[in-house]
Amino acid sequence: MGIMDTIRAVFGSSAEHDATREADPEDLFGMSTAYMTMEADLGYPNAGAAALCFSSVDSTDFEDALREVRDILEAGEAETGTTASIRMDQQGYHWVVLEDSDPEDLVTSIHFAADTFIERGYGSRLLAALFAFEKDSRYVYWVYSFRRGAYYPFAPTRGRERDQSAEFKLQSVLDGELGVEDDTAYWYPLWPESPGRHPWQ
Amino acid sequence: MEWKTDWGLRGRMMFTMFLLFALYLVFVGVIAAYFGNMLFALIMLGGFSLVQYFFSDKLTLWSMGAHEVSEEEYPQLHDAVTRLSRQADLPKPTVAVTDSRVPNAFATGRNQKNAVVCVTTGIMSTLDQEELEGVLAHELAHIKNRDMMVMTIASFLSTLAFIVVRWGWLFSGGDSRNQAPVWVAIVVSLLVWVISFLLIRALSRYREYTADRGAAMITGKPSALASALMKISGRMDKVPKEDLREEAEMNAFFIIPINRGFIGRIASTHPPTEKRIERLRDLERELETA
Repeated sequence: MGIMDTIRAVFGSSAEHDATREADPEDLFGMSTAYMTMEADLGYPNAGAAALCFSSVDSTDFEDALREVRDILEAGEAETGTTASIRMDQQGYHWVVLEDSDPEDLVTSIHFAADTFIERGYGSRLLAALFAFEKDSRYVYWVYSFRRGAYYPFAPTRGRERDQSAEFKLQSVLDGELGVEDDTAYWYPLWPESPGRHPWQ
Repeated sequence: MEWKTDWGLRGRMMFTMFLLFALYLVFVGVIAAYFGNMLFALIMLGGFSLVQYFFSDKLTLWSMGAHEVSEEEYPQLHDAVTRLSRQADLPKPTVAVTDSRVPNAFATGRNQKNAVVCVTTGIMSTLDQEELEGVLAHELAHIKNRDMMVMTIASFLSTLAFIVVRWGWLFSGGDSRNQAPVWVAIVVSLLVWVISFLLIRALSRYREYTADRGAAMITGKPSALASALMKISGRMDKVPKEDLREEAEMNAFFIIPINRGFIGRIASTHPPTEKRIERLRDLERELETA
């Protein structure tokens, strides 16, 4: 525990400090080379989708911010062909979902969306960015954790279980290229409703 | 998303902690002057407190009749805890459920990696999903703020003072020349115990306010916790007396303590529910006018 952690423990302000900590979207660009490595070295091509996961806020200004995100992505769609939607899933997560067969456009659009949240003052509500890959009809994800400022692999298999050997392989190959979270206690699951579907579906 | 820092709350908390520390120094001075041979016993007691602290998660679960539940058993509960933990930058705690009609929840565990969040079946049937998340966020804020560690350290003094009041006379034997009457030390310890009891209660109330603030910032919805507090507070009055009596011993850990007739405000571990709701309403207003 560092000195600042101790001071916050004394004040009882750790929860409010970390829950409102700002996000840095520049790490997202690391996915550009990761997409190539995933396909060339590991045989996992782009599944054509990426998503931004966020917490909502009970305020009209946040609703305005969401409208701005939607408007910006719709304007971008005409230019890059990336389709976008905003939705909430069964588990209470809120999503900006992007679909495009070109990984570069996915990375650009998701950075654009994240940056808009941050410019509107809601960077602290960004939870994760998910990048989907597919092999043998199964999805795996690189998840960027905004709160931790690091990536981790997520390979869901049937019934709320994880394919740990697949995750281990992903971590082994891309650690160094991506900043991977060392502490697996922070590799939070984002379960899909059923096998073969994405967490946001 | 900006929130104003509540410097008043922090200032009062710091002042309370300062008083506890000053009281501790006075107490150690008295002990050293009167009970040289008692220091070893006090060190042993400190060790015992440490052991209790380290096993706090298992002790609390056992005493509450709670059991850990899996993702498959309570998927929606696990999803909520996972999502809120992510927002709070916490490792996901163990999730436990107690079979009880009393609507309540608590968190325990010595640190962020060994924490448990427990809810009762009563609270899950009383609250809607948003309200339950407000409560879960409150418990996660306790974990994040390290309230168990802070309160354990703060309470240690009170425990020591009580031991001296209760057993001090046993150590009064030995060289009695040039020694002030032992009852003086016992009276001082009694005063220390009473004052520290009140200060610790005040600190506990402040930690509840900070946990409420933390919960509002984790959920982004202060009204969720406010609404939950109103429902729980109202429902408490309708639960059969036997259930309430069984769990009264664990009051300090609960999101809302069980009423046991009249308890003076200065001896309460939680602020009044209406004051907590009032502060959450202020945060809700701040969200819309920032």
